[in-house]
Amino acid sequence: MAPAKDTPFRSADMSMVQLYISNEIGREVVNALGELGLVQFRDLNGELSAFQRAFTQDIRRLDNVERQLRYFHAQMEKAGIALRKLDLDVDTLAPPTTTEIDELAERSQSLEQRVSSLNESYETLKKREVELTEWRWVLREAGGFFDRAHGNVDEIRASSENDDAPLLQDVEHHLAAPEVERSFSGMNIGFVAGVIARDRVAAFERILWRTLRGNLYMNQAEIPEPLVDPATNEPVTKNVFVIFAHGKEILAKIRKISESMSAEVYNVDENADLRRDQVHEVNARLGDVQSVLRNTQQTLDAELAQIARSLSAWMVLVSKEKAVYNTLNLFSYDRARRTLIAEGWCPTHDLPLIRSTLQDVTNRAGLSVPSIINEIRTNKTPPTYLKTNKFTEAFQTIVNAYGTATYQEVNPAIPVIITFPFLFAVMFGDLGHAIIMLCAALAMIYWEKPLKKITFELFAMAFYGRYIALVMAVFSIYTGLIYNDIFSKSMTLFESSWDWKVPADYRPGQTVIGKLKDDYRYPFGLDWRWHGTENDLLFTNSYKMKMSIILGWAHMTYSLCFAYINARHFKRPIDIWGNFVPGMIFFQSIFGYLVVCIFYKWTVNWVDLELQPPGLLNMLIYMFLQPGFIDVPLYRGQKYVQIGLLLLAVVQVPILLFLKPFYLRWEHNRARAKGYRGIGERSSRVSALDEDDELRQGQGQGNGGGRLSGESEVGEGVAMIARDLDEDDDDGHGGGHGGHGGEFEFGEVMIHQVIHTIEFCLNCVSHTASYLRLWALSLAHQQLSAVLWSMTMGPALGKSGIGGAIFLVVTFAAFFCLSCVILIIMEGVSAMLHSLRLAWVESFSKFAEFGGWPFAPFSFKQQMEEAEELKEYLG
Amino acid sequence: MANGWSIIIGLVIIVAMCLASWFFAPKGENQVLWRSSLILSIVSCYLMWAITFLAQLHPLIVPRRSDLRKEYIHH
Repeated sequence: MAPAKDTPFRSADMSMVQLYISNEIGREVVNALGELGLVQFRDLNGELSAFQRAFTQDIRRLDNVERQLRYFHAQMEKAGIALRKLDLDVDTLAPPTTTEIDELAERSQSLEQRVSSLNESYETLKKREVELTEWRWVLREAGGFFDRAHGNVDEIRASSENDDAPLLQDVEHHLAAPEVERSFSGMNIGFVAGVIARDRVAAFERILWRTLRGNLYMNQAEIPEPLVDPATNEPVTKNVFVIFAHGKEILAKIRKISESMSAEVYNVDENADLRRDQVHEVNARLGDVQSVLRNTQQTLDAELAQIARSLSAWMVLVSKEKAVYNTLNLFSYDRARRTLIAEGWCPTHDLPLIRSTLQDVTNRAGLSVPSIINEIRTNKTPPTYLKTNKFTEAFQTIVNAYGTATYQEVNPAIPVIITFPFLFAVMFGDLGHAIIMLCAALAMIYWEKPLKKITFELFAMAFYGRYIALVMAVFSIYTGLIYNDIFSKSMTLFESSWDWKVPADYRPGQTVIGKLKDDYRYPFGLDWRWHGTENDLLFTNSYKMKMSIILGWAHMTYSLCFAYINARHFKRPIDIWGNFVPGMIFFQSIFGYLVVCIFYKWTVNWVDLELQPPGLLNMLIYMFLQPGFIDVPLYRGQKYVQIGLLLLAVVQVPILLFLKPFYLRWEHNRARAKGYRGIGERSSRVSALDEDDELRQGQGQGNGGGRLSGESEVGEGVAMIARDLDEDDDDGHGGGHGGHGGEFEFGEVMIHQVIHTIEFCLNCVSHTASYLRLWALSLAHQQLSAVLWSMTMGPALGKSGIGGAIFLVVTFAAFFCLSCVILIIMEGVSAMLHSLRLAWVESFSKFAEFGGWPFAPFSFKQQMEEAEELKEYLG
Repeated sequence: MANGWSIIIGLVIIVAMCLASWFFAPKGENQVLWRSSLILSIVSCYLMWAITFLAQLHPLIVPRRSDLRKEYIHH
């Protein structure tokens, strides 16, 4: 029954497996399975919190290593050392052994200590350096004040002691002053010198002034170069200040205020010689500090540079290792037999591969106890695993964005691979735009490897869909040829089927009409003679509208056929007779008939027969509103055919409504009459969720008991798992009414079917109308490109001479850019969204259930691709 | 040359192409993908061509324009 191999047509066959792995090689086995990426493990310890699990200690340890590695990375960024990124396509990392991981942990521990101590000493030294620099500035600037002030000591004294000194006194004193070398302390004037941030100066001054009531003399100078704050590493501009004041208390106050304003106060001697010594000393110390600083920096950089070479690889190893332990935490541990028990889903056809991987690991470890893998039967819904390749991946993604297909139903991505780009192309039909798009798609495919590294989000998105773009562009080339549009101009590839009827006395401006050739029609696409005519739109609108209806009909009929394939695969004949057949008849007797009429009307030569062609829209409306009334006849016997079809369609409605629910009830009652009972009636289970809980609880009791009271109960725990699963298995056979599970409730089934019927019948109409978007979008695209041409290239090509040539170059640039941005990117995105909707709504609603859950195997490859925090380490 | 029979001839050609795609699709697990994609695109393209051809087979309106220059009117 099952196909020999998994194909992309349906999701892969899945098996629930149980693994018994010896405790010693648990880590290695999980590692190997992670490389394989084919098993999704179930959590067997649902009742345990994250802290109670067996391998939480190891995870904590690895978390610590990861933190240390991140610390190195931060330090590297600070020091401006480039990280050597790891390219997983080129470098392969061998799975590490436990000792390697331990070594790594130890090494990063010691490295962290080293780096942080280096960092610490670097910071202390840096602080010292800043202090010394500040002091030097203070000495230099304050020295300047003193040199200036000493000259004026007498003057200061005079002005402070003697208020009524004559105004000219200072002129007289000036002559005597130079030889007077007296000290401030003699005058009981003290001073405070220091450095303060420039933006605080104003506040500092005000506070000093207010607290000391103006009893001070403050002098300041700006330090020309900004100083680096060692704590924040930001440059700060600062001022040197010197404050003179009377008395010790006041000086103490000033010191306090300076401290509170976070100014640095430095010791400056008022004696010029001492000051000179101080400057020398400061300079010497500064030189020392700087050379030590340089050394420290060099050592740190060397250390970090060495780490940078292998940091990425370590990071990847640690994150893999963590994932392994997280997975091991899902396993249940049988203490008595020292065995890990794991449960999970895997593709049935890959079981041999998994088995041989297990065998390999066991052999390599030299263990006599084999690892066992058991397939268990269960009625749980397996996950949907749709294999993809480079080409189908993006198509599958746009389908999965809508939902996950039910296990084993027809993969909706199969038709989408062609219908999605084709319907896009119907809306995007322009040869010129399609060729540009094709070039872009081909470029992305040709330079696949280098372009893969680009992380810019919008580009990455376009790059991800490169194969979709390729198929879309190829189909757009075809539709462009059919529409005979290249940048809104037409091509004269074949001889036209029209001639102009030219009167003998033709003058420009006179209206001419076409004359159809006898037995020749334009063989491929739209006749170029229509291009630029006055009734061009009249013709193309009628043509494109009909085409939209026909393509929509074809698309929906095709999609509906998958409903038949699904029903047959799931062995639900009632879905064929109760849903598919009446639905198909309903749809075909209305819209199939319309399509046949469209084709028929095209094949009749109404002009030569001199008959009035009927309006098909009116025909369809009258078919419903006044059955039997024919406005303008299309063919003989039309009346009876239409009444017959209408009756046929109407009869399908009750069939759709009642056949399936009543059949299901009959089948259910028959089964009961034979004595079958559903599992749900025996035990107290109500829903699938409860069932799952109960299973978990059962295991929980088993395992928990085993853990608490040792050997005897463990066996029971395992047995309980098995029993539970057996029970589930019974359930699967007994209550198998298709997808609805256990109990049968007629009311529910009936309501479901009523909704389905109403939806289906209404959707037949609304979805058909929805396909008119194909016409609307293709009209909009064609008109927009025509407008762009007439606004840029049209007038430019009319000009002549050198000015005309320059104008042409400029307008061509504008034309090309606007074509790319508006007509290709914007219009392309809009056409894509419309086509996406046609796939999601109009097509999928006909056959797909989307009731599955995705298969998410434990896989390192996937982990590396998805982990955000590893992005910066992977090249 | 190109008259109403073209539709039938085209149909014969695409049926042959579909059969060829069915039988010569590369073997392997993606065979179903090749078959479905090739046949679906052949049929879609044929459908579009046929619609366009049929729409012009017996047109109900004739092209009309009044901006033709004298020297181009016979082309």
